[in-house]
Amino acid sequence: MYGTGMAKGLLVTLKNLTKRPFTVQYPEERLKQHPRFRGEEFVWYEERCTGCASCAKFCPLGIIKIVTSPSETAPAQGDKYRLEVFDIEIARCMFCGLCVEACPYDALFMGSGFEQGQYSRKEMVIGIDQLRQAEKHPSTFFRPQLESAGYNPHQGQPLHWKDVGRESWRWHQQEKAGMRLESAPGSGNLDSIEAVDDLNSPDLGGTAEASGASEQTP
Amino acid sequence: MSPDNVLYGTPLYRFVYELAGMVLPCWISYVAAGLVIMFILVNAVLMGAAVFVFAERRLIGRFHNRVGPNRWGPFGTFQPFADVLKLIFKEDITPATADKIVFLAAPIAMLAPAILMLAVVPFAKNTALADLNVGVLYILAVTSLSSVAILMAGWSSNNRYAMFGAARGVAVLISYEVPVVLCLLGVVLVTGSMSMADVVEAQAVPFLLVQPLALFVFLAGVSAELNRTPFDVAEAESELVAGYHTEYSGVKFALIQAAEFGGVVTASMVVVTLFLGGWAGPLADYLGWFWFLLKVGAVAFIFIWVRATYPRLRIDQLMAFAWKFLLPLSLINLFATALEVFFLRDSQGVLATNDLWIMTGINLALGVGCIALFGGMIREKIRPVRWQPAAGSTASLTVGEVT
Amino acid sequence: MLFQDIVFWVLSVLAIGASLGVVLVKDLFRAALLLVVVFIAVAGFFVLLSAEFLAVVQVLIYAGAIAILIIFAIMLTRDVQHGNLPNRFQIPAATLAAVLLAVLVAVAVDTKWDLLAGQAQSRAQAVQTSAVRTLESPGDLAGLERAGFATEDERTAAQEAGLADLLIGDFVLPFEVVSLLLLAAVIGALALVRPR
Repeated sequence: MYGTGMAKGLLVTLKNLTKRPFTVQYPEERLKQHPRFRGEEFVWYEERCTGCASCAKFCPLGIIKIVTSPSETAPAQGDKYRLEVFDIEIARCMFCGLCVEACPYDALFMGSGFEQGQYSRKEMVIGIDQLRQAEKHPSTFFRPQLESAGYNPHQGQPLHWKDVGRESWRWHQQEKAGMRLESAPGSGNLDSIEAVDDLNSPDLGGTAEASGASEQTP
Repeated sequence: MSPDNVLYGTPLYRFVYELAGMVLPCWISYVAAGLVIMFILVNAVLMGAAVFVFAERRLIGRFHNRVGPNRWGPFGTFQPFADVLKLIFKEDITPATADKIVFLAAPIAMLAPAILMLAVVPFAKNTALADLNVGVLYILAVTSLSSVAILMAGWSSNNRYAMFGAARGVAVLISYEVPVVLCLLGVVLVTGSMSMADVVEAQAVPFLLVQPLALFVFLAGVSAELNRTPFDVAEAESELVAGYHTEYSGVKFALIQAAEFGGVVTASMVVVTLFLGGWAGPLADYLGWFWFLLKVGAVAFIFIWVRATYPRLRIDQLMAFAWKFLLPLSLINLFATALEVFFLRDSQGVLATNDLWIMTGINLALGVGCIALFGGMIREKIRPVRWQPAAGSTASLTVGEVT
Repeated sequence: MLFQDIVFWVLSVLAIGASLGVVLVKDLFRAALLLVVVFIAVAGFFVLLSAEFLAVVQVLIYAGAIAILIIFAIMLTRDVQHGNLPNRFQIPAATLAAVLLAVLVAVAVDTKWDLLAGQAQSRAQAVQTSAVRTLESPGDLAGLERAGFATEDERTAAQEAGLADLLIGDFVLPFEVVSLLLLAAVIGALALVRPR
C-alpha cells in the first residue's frame, strides 16, 4: 500500500488533469433532461379542458384550486365549464404527476423546465393567466401518444391542442372497436390530424347502429 | 549600520536604509528599512495564501474532472477576495463560556509562524530579510510555535470537540517534528553551515538528488505539520465538526485559513530553498526571484496533487507513519550522510561536485530500498475472517433444512 | 546604541510582566501562556547578547516543547482553574522572596562580568554565535573577517570554537551523560504506558 500503489494513485489523478471536465456551466448551458422529465411548470390546454376538476380531486396535497361557472358550451358532451380560477401552488407541489394521470381529456401535462424558482412564496403559485400564456412544451410523462410520436419537449416545437390527445392515436380507437390496425402504432404524424369526434366517428363500426338502436328504444 | 550586520547584504534593505538615513537618525532608519521589508513579506504571505487557495480550488477541481470556481473575475481569480470579504462581513461569534483573550489571540498566534518563517528565506542573490547563521534551526523553532497556537485555539473554545481536535493536532505536530529535524540535519551536514544562503550556494547538485530520503521525509513531515490531507485529522472536515477551529467565525476564521494556506506557501519556499536550489537557475543574478517563484509553484502543485489523491489517514496510522516509517528513514539518512561526508570530504573540508554525485547515487539506492523495506513493515496486514457459526445454532442450517 | 537599549527595555518589561503574571494570574492556562511569553522574551535577550544559536534553541525547546508539556499537564488535571488557596504562609513567603530578590540584584550588579581574558572572551563569543562549523565553506572566511577576527590565528580559533567541536571534544562526558538521561526518560515513559 505504501509503495508503488501510492505512485499509481498519483498517476491516475494526474491523468485526470488531461481529461475534459464534466461540468455544465449553468446559466450558459443546461443539462439535457429526458422527455418524460416532470418539470415544474404545467402545460394546460384550455381548449381541451372541461373544468371537471379531476386533477384537483386527485392531487394528494390539495394544491390545485379550481373555480368554475357554467358556460353553456358543448352541451351535447355535457357542458364544458368556464374556468375562472385555476391555481397550482408549486411551492408545495411534489410533481408526482397524479393530476396529469387523472385528466380524462389530456388537457393537463407536466412541464419540461426546472427554473420556476421565485423570491417569495406568494409568487410560487401558477395562475390561470400564466397557464394560458406559457409556451407549451408538454412532457411525455404518462402520455404515450406523445412518446410514440417521438416528441421531445426540450427540442421540439410547442404543440397545438389538436396534436396532444389520445384521439389522434388512431390505433387506440381501432383496438377499442376490435379491428386490427393496418399500420404500426405511432405512425400518425402529428401535423395533419383533424379532430376526431369519438361519438360520431364513422371508424367505429357499429356506432351508427347503436345510435340508431337507441333512437328506436322508447 | 556596519558591514557586519546581517542585514547589510540585502540590497533593498540597504537602499531603504540609506534613503531614510538622509533625513532620519541611524536607528530609526534601521527600523524603517526593516519595516519596509517586513511589510513586503507579510503581504507576500497573505497574497500568496490567496493565490494558493485559488490555485488549489481550481486544480483540485481539474483533478476531480470538474471546473473549480470560475464565476468571479476572469477565470474566477477574484474568488479568494470574495471569500475574504464574505468572512469579514460575517458575524464574529465568541462563545459565552470561552476564554475571550486567548480566543482572540489564538488565530494571531497561528498566523505568526507562517510569516516569521519567511524572515530567513533567500529569494534571490543576497536577498533575505535576515541571513541568520542558524537559519535552518530558526525555521524548525518557528514551526514548533504553531503547536502552542493550536492548543490555545482548542482550549479557549471550551468545546470538547475542539479540544479533541487540538490535542490530536498537537500530537501529530510534535510527532512529526522529530523526523523533520533529523532529515534537515542531513542537509546541514552536506552544506556545512546552517545558514540558508549557504545552503543555496552549496547546491551545485540540488539536494533533491543528493538527499532524496531527506526530501521525502521532509515533504511528508511538513504536510503533517501543516495539517494537510492526508494528515489532517486535526481538521478532519468530515469528522469532529471542524476540529480546533469549530468555534471560529468571521475574521478569526479568515486568519486561521490564511495561516494554514500561508503556511503551505511558506513551507514550499523552505523546501525550494533547502532542496531544490532556491533561486539558482540560468541568469540567476537577475532572474533569481523568477526561478524561485517557479519552483515554489512546482512544490505547491505537488502539495495540491497529494491532497487530491490520497484519503485521510487515521490517527493511529498517522502515528505509525511518523514513528515507525519516517523516523527510521531519517535516522538512516542521517547515518549514511554522515558516513559519506566523513569519507568524501577533502582535507579542507569541502565537498566537490563529483562527491555530491557519488552521494546522489548511494542515497538514491538507499532511499528506494529503505522506503520499500519500511513501507512493507508498517503495512497493515488484514486477513478476512471466515465467519464460523456457533455449533447447534440455526445459523448453520442450509436453506430448507429442518432440525 | 539607542535601538538596542529600547529593545532591551521593552523585552525586560515584557519578561518581568509576564513572569509576574505567571504567578499571579488565577487561570492556570493563561499562566502557562504567559510562561511561553517569558520564554520568548528570554530568547530575545539571547539575541541581544549575540547568541543567536542559543536564542533559537531556547524557542525550539522551551516554547515549542516544554510549554506544550506543561499545557498538556494542565489539560489532563481536573479543577485547575481556581488559583492559589489562601494559606498561613503568605506573609513569610513574601518577605523571604523580597530578601532573595535583594540578594540576587546585589550580586548581579556587583559582579564584574568581564572577567575572561581577551582570547577566551573572543572564543566564548565565537561559541555563542556559531553553531556548526564542520566544513569550511567559502562564505566563512569573509564572515569571520566581518565579525572582527582579523588574523589567521583568530580565524582558526573561531573556526574551532564551534559548539559542536566543544561538545564532542572538551565536554564529551556531560554530553554522553545527558543522552543516557534522555534514554532513561524514554524507557520510563514506555514503562508507564505499557498495557497491563
